[in-house]
Amino acid sequence: MTSAALSRREWSPFTRYRRSLWLLTTRDLKVRYSTSFLGYFWSILDPLVMAGIYWFVFTVVFGRGVGHEPYIVFLLAGLLPWMWFTGAVSDCTRAFTREAKLIRSTTIPRTIWVTRLVLSKGIEFVASIPVIAIFAIGTLIWSKTPAVLHWEVLWTIPAILLQAVLITGIGLIVAPLVVFFRDLERAVKLILRFAFYASPIIYGLGDLPEQLRWVAALNPLAGIFGMYRAAFFPQELDLFAILISTGVSLALLGIGLAVFSRTIRTVLKEI
Amino acid sequence: MAEEFAEGTIRVSGAGIRYKRNRASRRSFKDLFAGRTRRTRPGEFWALRGVDFEVAPGEAIGVVGRNGQGKSTLLKLVAQVVYPDEGTVAVHGGVAPLIEITGGFVNDLSVRDNVYLTAGLHGMTKHEIDQRFDEILEFAEIGDFVDTPYKHLSSGMKVRIAFAVVSRLEEPIILVDEVLAVGDKAFREKCYTRIEELLAGGRTLFFVSHSERDLLRFCTRGLYLDKGALVLDAPIREVVDRYNADYGV
Repeated sequence: MTSAALSRREWSPFTRYRRSLWLLTTRDLKVRYSTSFLGYFWSILDPLVMAGIYWFVFTVVFGRGVGHEPYIVFLLAGLLPWMWFTGAVSDCTRAFTREAKLIRSTTIPRTIWVTRLVLSKGIEFVASIPVIAIFAIGTLIWSKTPAVLHWEVLWTIPAILLQAVLITGIGLIVAPLVVFFRDLERAVKLILRFAFYASPIIYGLGDLPEQLRWVAALNPLAGIFGMYRAAFFPQELDLFAILISTGVSLALLGIGLAVFSRTIRTVLKEI
Repeated sequence: MAEEFAEGTIRVSGAGIRYKRNRASRRSFKDLFAGRTRRTRPGEFWALRGVDFEVAPGEAIGVVGRNGQGKSTLLKLVAQVVYPDEGTVAVHGGVAPLIEITGGFVNDLSVRDNVYLTAGLHGMTKHEIDQRFDEILEFAEIGDFVDTPYKHLSSGMKVRIAFAVVSRLEEPIILVDEVLAVGDKAFREKCYTRIEELLAGGRTLFFVSHSERDLLRFCTRGLYLDKGALVLDAPIREVVDRYNADYGV
């Protein structure tokens, strides 16, 4: 009995954080996949259907004027990380309200209520990467311009890290503020829909007119999506945009931590 | 806290916490980011203010007061699920909070998953839970439902399994907030026996109840809260008598 209590006290704050984060993340994934028969399939079906629609509209109806061949791979390399971004940010608007009862009864570090959403959506994103691989291999068979994997695929790793930083920063700002301003939940949804078209997902940075390009690069997602796309389309890698992404993401994380620590007392009283 | 103090000690000094009287009251960004020293605005009230007391390890404290006088708020402060707006609440050692005990349970997961999840969030390792798992199920008397989704349990079963998990935590401080009002008589008696065992094991107990009999059974010392202030800190008998004298039937 005493030994058990002792071992717990020896845990560093980091171990405690990691353990609690992992428990809640696996809980989320377990709930999602144990309640629906097609669990994993559903999480990739949404981006697949969207990719199918955009592919049809932009290559069959209008004739492709943006992106690169094979367009479906180009689309997916932007859409799948976008699903992570939009899913995690919109879940963050309910980070406190949905788990109010649990938050009122445990003392785990509060930022976990945000980071667990970033992590569980991130794991779903990583699990959906094989879909791109399948389409890329598919283009070898049916396309005249098959997708070729370049060494730039290594950029995927810093891209994932940077995107996690960005989403965590935004989540730390959004989650506590929604508790005070309920309208923010709807505002965030609207902003996300706007951000979908404002970010290089159905097009690439290079498709924009020269004078608009640097404005678009201010969007931290631009640099990040470029890093993912570089795996198949090295010309999409834009170092200037990556620098801006890094700066903006780190700044948002800093602001997020400040907002979160200033508001958390009031949040705990309100929920 | 520079000074050393023993595991299971609670030290509350000048603690106060204020809430909004009206949820819809106007709020500004300035409010939100204001430090904790800002003055009270109209529409706010102090749920607790100027509360001072210290609890030694192994003490059993009963908290007495009418509804809405700050009892649950005090428990939440000690559980550190809310923070005081003024003063300090120092709790040395972990807390097993029997407050909103079913809060961490997920409807869609099985009883087994829920036990691992809740105990894990309260700091138990997987190995520790493995060791206690059978004991927990036996205590909750729901051995046959271990793989049933939590939502299909009866409300009595839900409370039983939750109590069984949280009361197995190896923490030096236990908080009990009238959770035992639920459940049938036999199970309540079992819970009480469990609390007595824990007390005998040297745990610090914080007990909120309206039942004079329960208070006298477990507690040695009483805290009487009225209108958000600590009115009396004395042996439990004295506190109960004073409460009865003030609001007695």
